[in-house]
Amino acid sequence: MAPFAWTIRGNVNRFFVDAQILQYLIVLAGLFNLSLCLYEDQVGKFDWRQNYVGKITFASFDTVSTAKKIIVATEENVIAAFNLKSGQIIWRRVLEKGGHIRTLGGVADGDLISVSGGVPAIVRAWDLATGHILNEWPIAEQNTDRIKDVKWHIKDGTLHHILPIYNSGVEVTSYDSKTGEKLKTRRVSAPFISQETECVLAAPYLACLKGDSSLALVLLVHLFDTNAQPQSVTINTIFGAGAQGPYKLESVLGEEPVISINADNDQRKRILAVIGELPIPIQRDIAGDATLYVVSIDNEKVLLETTYKNGKIEIAATDLSSSAPLPDLSVTLTHTSLQSPTIMASVCPRQTKGITCRHLLSSQDHSISLLQHNKLVWTREEALASIVAVEIIELPMSDRDQAIETEFDQKERDVLSMFLRRITSQINQAKAFFQTILDLGPQQSNQRIDLVRDKFGLHKMIIAVTSAGKLYGIETRKGEIIWQLRLPNIRGFTKLSNTMILYVQRGSRHFPHPPQCALLAEDKETGEGVVYTFNPITGQPLDGLVKLGYKIKQSMLLHVTTDDFLRGILILDARNKVHVYPDSAIAVAASLGKSTYLFTADQTTGILSGFSLSYSTTQELIAHKVWELLLSPRNQKITQVVAKNPIERVHSQGRVLSDRSVLYKYINPNLVAVVTEGIGHAHKNTLNLYLLDVVSGAMIFSITHKRVRGPIHIVHSENWLVYGYFNEKGRRTEIATLELYEGKIQSNTTVFSSLATTKLPIVERQAFIFPASIEYMQETITEKGITSKHIIVALANGGILELPWMMVDPRRPTNPEMREEGVIPYMPEIPIHMDAIINYNQSVSRVMGIHTSPSGLESTCLVFVHGLDLFYTRVAPSKTFDVLKEDFDYYLIVIVLAALLISSYITKKLASQKAQKQAWK
Amino acid sequence: MKKILYLFLIFVNLCGQYVIAEHEEDASTDLYVIEGKVFPWDNAASSGWQLMTHVMANGGEHYGFLREDGTFIISNVPSGSYMVEVVNPNYVYEPVRVEINSKGKFRARKVNLIQTSQVIQVPYPLKMRPLAPFRYFQVREQWRMTDFLFNPMVLMMVLPLLLIMVLPKIMNDPETRKEMEQLNNLTIYNMPEMSEVITSFLSGGEKQKSKAVKAAKKRQ
Repeated sequence: MAPFAWTIRGNVNRFFVDAQILQYLIVLAGLFNLSLCLYEDQVGKFDWRQNYVGKITFASFDTVSTAKKIIVATEENVIAAFNLKSGQIIWRRVLEKGGHIRTLGGVADGDLISVSGGVPAIVRAWDLATGHILNEWPIAEQNTDRIKDVKWHIKDGTLHHILPIYNSGVEVTSYDSKTGEKLKTRRVSAPFISQETECVLAAPYLACLKGDSSLALVLLVHLFDTNAQPQSVTINTIFGAGAQGPYKLESVLGEEPVISINADNDQRKRILAVIGELPIPIQRDIAGDATLYVVSIDNEKVLLETTYKNGKIEIAATDLSSSAPLPDLSVTLTHTSLQSPTIMASVCPRQTKGITCRHLLSSQDHSISLLQHNKLVWTREEALASIVAVEIIELPMSDRDQAIETEFDQKERDVLSMFLRRITSQINQAKAFFQTILDLGPQQSNQRIDLVRDKFGLHKMIIAVTSAGKLYGIETRKGEIIWQLRLPNIRGFTKLSNTMILYVQRGSRHFPHPPQCALLAEDKETGEGVVYTFNPITGQPLDGLVKLGYKIKQSMLLHVTTDDFLRGILILDARNKVHVYPDSAIAVAASLGKSTYLFTADQTTGILSGFSLSYSTTQELIAHKVWELLLSPRNQKITQVVAKNPIERVHSQGRVLSDRSVLYKYINPNLVAVVTEGIGHAHKNTLNLYLLDVVSGAMIFSITHKRVRGPIHIVHSENWLVYGYFNEKGRRTEIATLELYEGKIQSNTTVFSSLATTKLPIVERQAFIFPASIEYMQETITEKGITSKHIIVALANGGILELPWMMVDPRRPTNPEMREEGVIPYMPEIPIHMDAIINYNQSVSRVMGIHTSPSGLESTCLVFVHGLDLFYTRVAPSKTFDVLKEDFDYYLIVIVLAALLISSYITKKLASQKAQKQAWK
Repeated sequence: MKKILYLFLIFVNLCGQYVIAEHEEDASTDLYVIEGKVFPWDNAASSGWQLMTHVMANGGEHYGFLREDGTFIISNVPSGSYMVEVVNPNYVYEPVRVEINSKGKFRARKVNLIQTSQVIQVPYPLKMRPLAPFRYFQVREQWRMTDFLFNPMVLMMVLPLLLIMVLPKIMNDPETRKEMEQLNNLTIYNMPEMSEVITSFLSGGEKQKSKAVKAAKKRQ
């Protein structure tokens, strides 16, 4: 009997459990219904995407196919075809991240061969017209350590792999470029080649420079003729007497075997052309900074020299052998979007009207332009494929709003003067109104009419800083580039990631002061810091480029503004001296000195240090080291230091539990997550994560993951941390979350102090399986922090996922008995719902970063994704609760209200009639 | 029983670890080629689908591109375990895990991220078929008559109308009227009408109007 009863109870229990699971399922289903999705007719309504390819390294005109186009290969490992007329991408193939494209060729023969990757290289044959792959084969490399010296040449469907072997000769291995079949291996004797000789390929010759004195020789080896002896030309025969070293050998772009030699410290150069079988030096000096290209027109070889001076581009064409100038083919042009361009490819077909040349130019700012006979046909801003810093800025108010703003801006509160101002401004407004009606008023504003703040603050300006040192202002509605400017000679701080820092010193809300942004970067020559301040709306420089004269180690934006609403920048230089930019903010910085702390992290040594400015006087700021921590013991390297977004606000201080008590969040604004990666015990990849209070230097929490490798992506916000990594043991991507709580009692309800709090927080943690690879993660941010947080995850397959934080909540209970309100029970795998992919089928490749920015609406967050492609959209994590849905049925409500009103009148009439009738009875 | 199960689980785990460890220890430098074929979605085999699709191993470490007939190769892969995914913005493909041992033997199996040791083999060379089109969008609700009728606002409008039109008809029936009057009397007796109380309280002069209203109400 007893077992029977037990089974019944068991069944009942199970039934309860099942019912609970069912409940959860219902809750879950409800959640997904709640999740934001797009309707099909909203496609492109508030999102846009732009495709880029990056800085081009190889280019050629496809004149063989019926549809004329330009084929390019870029530094970002992309092969693409552009429309000749419009510059739009016809097709684009994105290769592997590490697969550096070594050569691209064969276009003239009607096929496209690319060699990419390291050891061994992959050869791919592409269909020129469609971009399909035709074949792919790896090249077996014998000397893997000399991959850098290998030269590639593609000619007549054959791929030649050219490797100079020291003190012996040149090994040329030929393959059929389509099938990968090894055709033959030749060795051309060239015993002069050593480690120091500088060799360039000028097919079918290999040109080498031996020696660097005036006795230097240029040696030419014919690669495909094993019997030929190397031909040598002395520097003296090229330059005549008196040329100074060091010499530099360069192969001139184009199909002809022409090389250029720089002398006199790149002051001048001369060229050496192989005409017939003999190398002929051309006795003419060419400017050292000119870039050369050789194009053949009707079997005549023409040398194109491109020089750039003071915004003027000059392409001088000369006959190669006779040096006779050809004025018909020379071009002089002034255009703002061309900056020291290089001809990457050129064709000059003879047409009925004569010869028209098309030049594909690649500028120093990574832009690509097509020049056709004196005219710039199109330009592509390829610098946008390598954005390093982004800010999204509010647009200024319209002129009318600004007038109203000035009216109320005044400080004095005298009734009479206020009244007078009111009257004058109203008169002004009336005047302006009549002027606009009569259409005769002068246009006071120099800005575009549509570039003004909208009601909900959704129309903003994206400021993008690119690694080429070019800055862009992009409006968010259509993605149109409003302004662009280039800062020559700047670079990012670390060579690896090329980061520059962009600060918004003053927003657009402080009329009449213009908004101000500051860019912190490094000078290319000296490595010292530079600050460039500009107006982010118009792109006008404010203070211009200021050279600081010291190396920047750390910087910080002050949170208190000066009297003209400008936030100063605190800069710590390499000698731990503190500077303030601009100088007018020194007083503010000094007054804040007592409560200002800085910290630095050194990636190479693994030392973290904290500085306090409390010893500063009003005249001078002094950084005093208060703590130091060595973080990377043995083989560990700091890979990430992640702080919270400084503009973030946390609305709710705690979390209500099922027993109606409150669990208070540990919201420490000074908390920074530091990740070190490396090889741990027993040669396993390990990952350490430290949570550090950077004011006090206290270690709040640390965790080690074994057998885990990067790339690590971290999101740090409010009281939680979400990070993704690759678990080598499970061979899957995982997302782990940490959440910090103070406990049931809040230590200080008004303000957090790192120095006063001694209690360590309670840490909740959980890990989940994520069924896709992560490229980047970022959290959404809203103005007041009331809206729930979602995590924007860029996936390797090109999707951008909006993942509700609730899904990665570490308090998701593993035991279904423990239930909390609004918490989904734990499931090991986070499902990816297709309707949470915010970029639908507009895939983006190689995401480098995601920038989120609050809009004027609390519910809405603006998302800008950059990488090879740019994508912009807006998301509403808690749905648009503060604004009517855009598909709201205005007609229905009007009709219903009108019907109700009318019916109430009619019924009133009817009722009174009836009452009258009744009264007569 | 449970203990045994646990032990078994532990054993399985250990086995799994051992197998993986073995995978890592081999340091052969041979490189292999993963082959396969991607099939288009039947209804939409439009031209250019090959261009939009590529094959990705281990989240972008290695790429494979499609030929015109849909076949692909991923070259230069050392031995190890690879998750092969087909990337297409419009159709879902199931990922496959391809394992290459140090001797160059291939094994393809279904991806199971939770139970990593579970093996369900699939044929190699890979045949990747689309499961379904992606559904990125919510379906916008169509305008339907029932939706309109059950809209609270419409109900709000229709119900009073019904009450106004139908109730007097019922009232005309003498029996029901009698009943109603009784009912009304009862209610009046039990609780004085709230609105009346308030109106009388607020405005003494408008008594007559309220009476009229009351009369009208009574008739109903």
